[in-house]
Amino acid sequence: MFNLLYKTLRERRYFILGWSLGLGFLGFAMTSFFPSFSGGEIDGLLTSLPPALQGLVGDLQDWKQLPGYIGSQVFDIRLPIFASILSILLAVGLTVSEESKGQLRTLIALPISRRKIIIAKWLAIVIICFIASVGTVVGIEVGVAVIGETLDQMVLVRLGLFTWLLVTALATLIFAVGSASGKRSLTTAAGIIVAIGSFLLTTFAQSVSWLKDYEWLSFLHYFPATDIAKGTVEWGNVVFYVTLIIVSLAIAFLFFPRRDVKVV
Amino acid sequence: MLHQPVLEVKNLTKLYNGVAAVDNASFSIQPGEIVGFVGLNGAGKSTTINMLLGFLKPSHGEVTIFGEKVTLPNAAKSHQKIGFATGDMALFEDMTGQKYLEFIARAYKISTQTETYTQLVAKFEPQLDKKINTLSRGNKQKIALIAAFMADPELVILDEPSSGLDPLMQQHFLDLVRQQSEKGTTIFMSSHYLNEVIDVCSRILLIKNGKLVKDMPASELEIGAGKLVRVVTKVKVIPPTAAELIEHEKRADGYILQFLYKDKAIRLQAWLGTLPNLQDVTISDHSAEAAFEDLYAVQEVANV
Repeated sequence: MFNLLYKTLRERRYFILGWSLGLGFLGFAMTSFFPSFSGGEIDGLLTSLPPALQGLVGDLQDWKQLPGYIGSQVFDIRLPIFASILSILLAVGLTVSEESKGQLRTLIALPISRRKIIIAKWLAIVIICFIASVGTVVGIEVGVAVIGETLDQMVLVRLGLFTWLLVTALATLIFAVGSASGKRSLTTAAGIIVAIGSFLLTTFAQSVSWLKDYEWLSFLHYFPATDIAKGTVEWGNVVFYVTLIIVSLAIAFLFFPRRDVKVV
Repeated sequence: MLHQPVLEVKNLTKLYNGVAAVDNASFSIQPGEIVGFVGLNGAGKSTTINMLLGFLKPSHGEVTIFGEKVTLPNAAKSHQKIGFATGDMALFEDMTGQKYLEFIARAYKISTQTETYTQLVAKFEPQLDKKINTLSRGNKQKIALIAAFMADPELVILDEPSSGLDPLMQQHFLDLVRQQSEKGTTIFMSSHYLNEVIDVCSRILLIKNGKLVKDMPASELEIGAGKLVRVVTKVKVIPPTAAELIEHEKRADGYILQFLYKDKAIRLQAWLGTLPNLQDVTISDHSAEAAFEDLYAVQEVANV
């Protein structure tokens, strides 16, 4: 199994490097913009935005302090978009892409059980998501150092771990759909619907009143980054993501060993 | 004395949208046998093999390997003793040949320092230091074949294994199959090349439209290959009694009679001596491929 895990990670080394650097750059760039926003010059511009658009930029008061700014501008809005793309690419690549290339058949022909294949690939997801989360945090750390600010390390630890959980949960969900169905269109659609649907639901629920009742359906509802940055961790949210991971894995475990594998 | 079959297939059926890709196939393979599995494209060869290895779930019927029923979740258990290669094996393109074979060795919990591995590498001379995605199809195929045999499996299942190999490597592959046979390895191989099947297999299974239509010794097909006889005469003549697949053709200057002849040569010679106004005779080997086509055609007639 570790043989397969190592192979999976090795094959994705450039993916890991690219995404870690990319998310690190996102963290660095957004942090380095903080001094421009912490002053009062942008207040007028933001308050003049229509209410619907204010939901997209977050609460103005959060911009004044570095933890709130990082929570709202990096983790609450931008990171989930990129994390969703990472999750979809990673999970689709590990499941239906390998299957359509015939590489899954090559693996299954070996004395490696289908369940071990699931475990090895999921562990690869966990590790890759962790490295990408660390990349983001490191980028922010560098940004904080460059702008000469200080930041409680626990803020980044909490946000980094929660990001890891969020990305892993989303990737595991898509991975489960891909493993259980073997259908590329279904897997990709599931990922896009969950990612984009959640983003739209969470951002627009702040200004579209009828959406508020459904916001709990959003994947991002359980990732209140600004609150986490301020030190509030709702353990219910952790439980939600962990439960989702367990249920998704159970689905993959149940269906993947019993279904036909595409043969090229 | 018959041992427990290495591989036993009972009433194996695979339906796709109600259409049978494999239809109620049953056969068994004894230890040490080399069985060729032949049929045209789409006949159901690969689908059968995919069910043997647990890639596809049979709609009906069952597969037993080494006495254990193969199901999709437990197929990996038997794979410890099975080697597998196809003509279009999807290898892990990002790896070098060496890394790929090391990965396979770890999966089988063996080393790449074994005598078998060394012999296989010496035989096929693969380009192990290059990334697989830079290799030609033939070179990839060499690596796939080494991977299939390197763990000294008790059963090797091959699906069109020599496609992509040049004639020399094809010969090396056939030598390897013979050597493995001497070691007692059981081999089940599908092939488009009937000559190679006849060359190394002791038994042939013929599949057509998903149905197993013939299970016979390979020698039967070889002996049955016969001669293709073509005579040109001024008048229409009656072919010898042993003639098969008779075709008459009328031309402005006479008649052409063509038939397949499997009987003794002396009788053919005697028959030729009786022909009036014989203008031309051509006797050629009836190729294995042609014999296969004839066999296929005969089965078609029998099935109608």
